[in-house]
Amino acid sequence: MAEPVIRLENVRKSFVMPGGERVEVLDVPGFLLQAGEQVALSGASGSGKSTLLHVISGIMRPDAGLVEVAGVDITRLPEGRRDRLRADSLGLVFQQFNLLPGFTALENVLVAMSFASGRPDRDRAAGLLEAVGLAQRLHHKPAELSIGQQQRVAVARALANQPRAVLADEPTASIDTAHKQQVVDLLKDTCGRAGVGLLVVTHDPDVARQFGRQLSLETFNRAGRQAV
Amino acid sequence: MSLLGIAWRNIRQRLLTSGLTALSLALGVALVVATLVIGGLVRDAFASGRGLGYNLIVGAKGSPLQLVLNSVYLVSKPIENISWGFYQEFLPAEARSDGMAGRYAGSVAKAVPICMGDYFRSFRVVGTNAAYFDSLTMGDGRPFAFAAGRNFRDDEFFGGVLGSSVAARLGLAVGDTFSPTHGADDGLVHDPFTVIGVLARTDTPVDRGVYVNMEGFYLQEGHAKPLPDDERDGIDEANDDEAGAEAGGALEISRPTADRPPRLVREISSATRAFAPAVPPDANPPRPRPLPFAQREVTAILIETASPGGMPPELLAMGLKTTINEGRDGQAAEPVREIRTLLDLFVRPLELLLLLVTTLVVIVSAIGILVSMVGSSLERSRDVAVMRALGARRSHVLTTVLLEAILLAVGGGLLGWLLGHAVVAAIGPLITTNAGVSAGFFSSAPAGEALLVPFLIVLAILAALLPALAAYRTDVAKWL
Repeated sequence: MAEPVIRLENVRKSFVMPGGERVEVLDVPGFLLQAGEQVALSGASGSGKSTLLHVISGIMRPDAGLVEVAGVDITRLPEGRRDRLRADSLGLVFQQFNLLPGFTALENVLVAMSFASGRPDRDRAAGLLEAVGLAQRLHHKPAELSIGQQQRVAVARALANQPRAVLADEPTASIDTAHKQQVVDLLKDTCGRAGVGLLVVTHDPDVARQFGRQLSLETFNRAGRQAV
Repeated sequence: MSLLGIAWRNIRQRLLTSGLTALSLALGVALVVATLVIGGLVRDAFASGRGLGYNLIVGAKGSPLQLVLNSVYLVSKPIENISWGFYQEFLPAEARSDGMAGRYAGSVAKAVPICMGDYFRSFRVVGTNAAYFDSLTMGDGRPFAFAAGRNFRDDEFFGGVLGSSVAARLGLAVGDTFSPTHGADDGLVHDPFTVIGVLARTDTPVDRGVYVNMEGFYLQEGHAKPLPDDERDGIDEANDDEAGAEAGGALEISRPTADRPPRLVREISSATRAFAPAVPPDANPPRPRPLPFAQREVTAILIETASPGGMPPELLAMGLKTTINEGRDGQAAEPVREIRTLLDLFVRPLELLLLLVTTLVVIVSAIGILVSMVGSSLERSRDVAVMRALGARRSHVLTTVLLEAILLAVGGGLLGWLLGHAVVAAIGPLITTNAGVSAGFFSSAPAGEALLVPFLIVLAILAALLPALAAYRTDVAKWL
């Protein structure tokens, strides 16, 4: 059996609301993402999907539990090392793509390389963009690209540092139906070819259905209330 | 991609805001640079008096500073004149017709008289003798050089030498004539003088001086000291020999009697002088009769004190100055000391004030960096959150924001530096005309300008600290 790239055990996360009330958002007894595995995690809006991704990626520290990425318990790491581990081992795809508007497609990929352990590799960045069909758009800024092309840049950027897993947060939520399938195919194909684990968080059952392993956050998360 | 590259991209992303911020900074820096450079040039112009070839100026009683400003820097008004007899007190026996050494002759190595009060256009006319350019120096100890022609001889009564700025500005060359005006640039027009020589550039006030033979100067209307009627009778006859002998009144100019040119008796009146022919270079025209000594005065005497027995000339200058100032005939001033006082009392405080004002302009411009960055903080927060999600550490985003500010400061500073020097170059001719120093694009104030860059960088870092800390504290989860 392949080594898990992401492992969660008894992870809990709560927030204090403006009124002082503490709301528990996550209570996940366990979760494993194996190397190269592709998983869809579905859940209604506000069910804690984004919070879970933030905890896995080390952007948020859980209140309790174990979060292991590439065999390292990131809950014990100082913030700087969590940032480095995120850059080295995880690729992130956001709902709004979140490309840096002042940078070209190539530079958006190079920026992601800048924060990892290796040196930014211009040829590799260009190769990633070519692999997602953007060979002619390397020097275009996001505003000069279509929605579909922007999402391709986001996928290429997520793979910039040869991560162990890609975490995609509602990657199809802001695009039309015609492009939805393209994005799903792109993520699955690209990560599949790269042998990278893929965890797609979505509220869309059509998207979730296309993954071999599907999880529902409602059953998977024991937190009693919906997150904000 | 390096953090510097990211910072540069961020600047380009907000090109208009960044450009305006840098431009505002550039204008402030341009003001500082121009102030520093022009202040330095003016200071240098005044401080260049150490190697003039004289260390004492004797003139009429009054402000010693005015005496120095007028005699050395050709600014301000002459105080008054001193008598010819007093001037003779500085001459040795061989330079005087009575064969007796002057009272102060033992303390003097060089004494060059100057007569002032006339103008040619806006330039000061200085009546002097050939010794001015033969024995004095440019301010840095080097002898005067001529770009064209030569120095006038003492027997060329209507010969003149032009400073380089005058010649360039008025387009005059050797052989041309010019007519000074009396008392002001629109005063009574005097006889024409011929340009015998044009000085090479000295970058001193000499460049904007018009120098004429004082013998010709004396013969102009209004330049002869009026005499009572009872003294006028026979005075010409009595002084004819003296006048001829001492026409080149500097100590070092002493012509043998046999070499004197033939005298031409000529009535000195405005009617005849108006038709006096100009002296062409190297010609020996008939020379008019010199003005009698009794009717002569000089505005000032430029003196280099002697150094008997190896005694420092400055020591003798102090003693001579005290002796003269205790008397009633005139005053003596040390140009270097007076100028130092002027610099300390007026120029430096004024320069500091200007520098303070312009520095405040730069600080206000630097606050522009802060305003610009705070203004774009909303947009920046999202970008910072994305970079943090991609693995950037807090220190990365802090450094990136600071680098943005530094790049704006350095860019604005560089542009301002160029603009400042362009301003100096643009007003260079004005500075050259008024201060007698050359000012161009490459004129610089190295010490001040070298401090400007670190100052700007520190200022930019201070201005960017707040937005940088805000970026440092960006809540990543909130902005994704």
